[in-house]
Amino acid sequence: MSDTLWLIRKTLITTFKNYKNLLLYIGMPIVGILLASLIHGGSGETTLRLGIVNHDEGQTVTEDTVQFIKQLDHVEASGIKESEANDLIVSGELDAVLIFQGGFAESLRSGKPESVRIVSIKGTQVTGYVSSYLNAYIDNLATIGRTVQGDAASFDVIYNGYRQADFELSKTMVEDRSVSQGMTKQTIGYLLIFMLFSAVNLSGIIIKEKENRTYFRLLASPISARTYVISNVIVNLFMMMIQIAVTLIVMIRMFDIDPGIPFWQMFLILLLFALVAVALSLVIVAFAGSSMAASALQNMLIMPTCLLAGCLFPIELMPASIQRFAEFLPQHWLLDTFSKLQLGSSLDSVLLNLGILLAFAAALSLIAIYKFGRNRDMRSYI
Amino acid sequence: MNVLEINKLTKQFGDFIAVDNLSLSIQDGEIFGFLGANGAGKSTAINMITSLLPITRGQIEILGKNIVKHSKFAKANIGIVPQELAIYEDMTAYENVQFFAGLYGLRGSLLKSRAEEALAFVGLEDKHRSYSKNFSGGMKRRLNIACAIAHRPKLIIMDEPTVGIDPQSRSYILNSIKKLNEMGSTIIYTSHYMEEVEEICTRIAIIDHGKIIAQGTKQQLKAIITNQKNISIEVRSVEQLDVEKLRDIVGVNTVELADAVIRISSDAEINNLNKIIQQLMASGMEIRSVEADEPNLETVFLTLTGRSLRD
Repeated sequence: MSDTLWLIRKTLITTFKNYKNLLLYIGMPIVGILLASLIHGGSGETTLRLGIVNHDEGQTVTEDTVQFIKQLDHVEASGIKESEANDLIVSGELDAVLIFQGGFAESLRSGKPESVRIVSIKGTQVTGYVSSYLNAYIDNLATIGRTVQGDAASFDVIYNGYRQADFELSKTMVEDRSVSQGMTKQTIGYLLIFMLFSAVNLSGIIIKEKENRTYFRLLASPISARTYVISNVIVNLFMMMIQIAVTLIVMIRMFDIDPGIPFWQMFLILLLFALVAVALSLVIVAFAGSSMAASALQNMLIMPTCLLAGCLFPIELMPASIQRFAEFLPQHWLLDTFSKLQLGSSLDSVLLNLGILLAFAAALSLIAIYKFGRNRDMRSYI
Repeated sequence: MNVLEINKLTKQFGDFIAVDNLSLSIQDGEIFGFLGANGAGKSTAINMITSLLPITRGQIEILGKNIVKHSKFAKANIGIVPQELAIYEDMTAYENVQFFAGLYGLRGSLLKSRAEEALAFVGLEDKHRSYSKNFSGGMKRRLNIACAIAHRPKLIIMDEPTVGIDPQSRSYILNSIKKLNEMGSTIIYTSHYMEEVEEICTRIAIIDHGKIIAQGTKQQLKAIITNQKNISIEVRSVEQLDVEKLRDIVGVNTVELADAVIRISSDAEINNLNKIIQQLMASGMEIRSVEADEPNLETVFLTLTGRSLRD
């Protein structure tokens, strides 16, 4: 144990002496959070810009309907001429235009409301919100119209009562977590990439030691190759833990992003992925004969698999065949675990995902151990 | 007491036998020269002694203990100075020595004092805090030695410790080796510089094709070839020389060419100088000088292996 600690001490000292390493291991994941915030920060609440063309001017009911639209949350409405509508929509100055035809108020009084035309090129994503509120409002008035069976005087009496009635409104705000959860997933995606790169860099110390021949000097001492590799793995896992903790703390405390999953759960699940990252890095080191080969293998394996697994952008954007391929990648199972937990699944329901991650770590470790055991490339030490 | 005892050591890589039934023993207090051309099996043998390579057959004992059964004990009693530098360039001289000494279990004030002593021993006491990447070649070589001796091993294996350095550093290192030996360390020394081996080694083994073909003191090795004479003939050009015809002359053992000099090793008892000169003249060679050499270690090596140490 004393030997292992001695090796760990040396690796940590030489690692932290180099400020570039600190930047890579700690700084880059924070840059990842910043990037995620920039990408997702603009996708929160937006204001809907509406133009209103009123061909039914002078009618109180129509004026009230227009006023109702203007008072909706996140809506900016202004009166325009119908001839301007197309240009304003095409130029992007307006998201949609509502056109009230002449006789709209009269149609409500008769209980057979004429539809309000909505012109937009942004589809139901934009118009759905306004039309659902508008439909509900018009339905109420049309019900009055149907009740009075076309009697205008009765309509006005009931309508005035409806306008002046006091309502007790109980309002419950439902928090929109899609943005913060999107930022969390993006941040974790970047973190996975940096964890994989960091793990390979740290395991790459073994190759560098072989290249500068200090590895063989170590093995000529009472230290065994196993002790040396174990010390490297411990340093690697320790660095991953710091990386995970710093990323989560900065994300939650400094950037105020609510991941929707308890901190300790995220930490432990990411630690499980750290095992996968370290095992993969050992496989790369075991197969690469030089630092250059390790670097090439690193680039060949990490970026494409992260891309396919959805670390850089949502996997739903990819074709179904590629989505199926992602199931062979550990990054996918980690991101899938987080998605499920964010949607309210319990920890029990993601045990399969966690088991798959553990299986990845075990399989990769076995490959690395097998390959290390067959490496006898030390004939030329002396 | 034997510090190192090797008995019928063999190393095989597939069909290739790198070390073949090698046996030798090195006694306490010796500086043992280990000579062999590149590929002779010297490095393989040393890698097995340091447990870096598994043994195919045979036994190695360090201080009477088998190195396979008592691997930690054996390793703890060996210090290795590899030919190629094995130091951390991103660590200071002191950190390097401290780290490697720590691998042998030294800690605390003992570690500190041993590391300082080792640095002082190689003349780097004023370079404690300097990074080795800023050192000259000679200083790096000395640091390479300091890293191997701080734990005070009983047996120090030095492979070409003076290669590629200035004469001043070489002289310093050779004196250090003698001093280490006086302080009680047994040393195995390999070098391409025969004069170094002649100067410091008390006993020498010559290895060729994985086998020890001769071993003993310098005098004993030279005695092996005292029935040999060495003739150096300088000619204007060796282009027309028919080496095979020279070798066919009775008594001639080896013929070596170096620029315009023909080096012939021949049986001392057979008087064949006239025939050699006649053969050269018959080939149209213009002879400029003829010299007979005294046997030295180079000649011994050349005679026994049929090739120069640098081949």
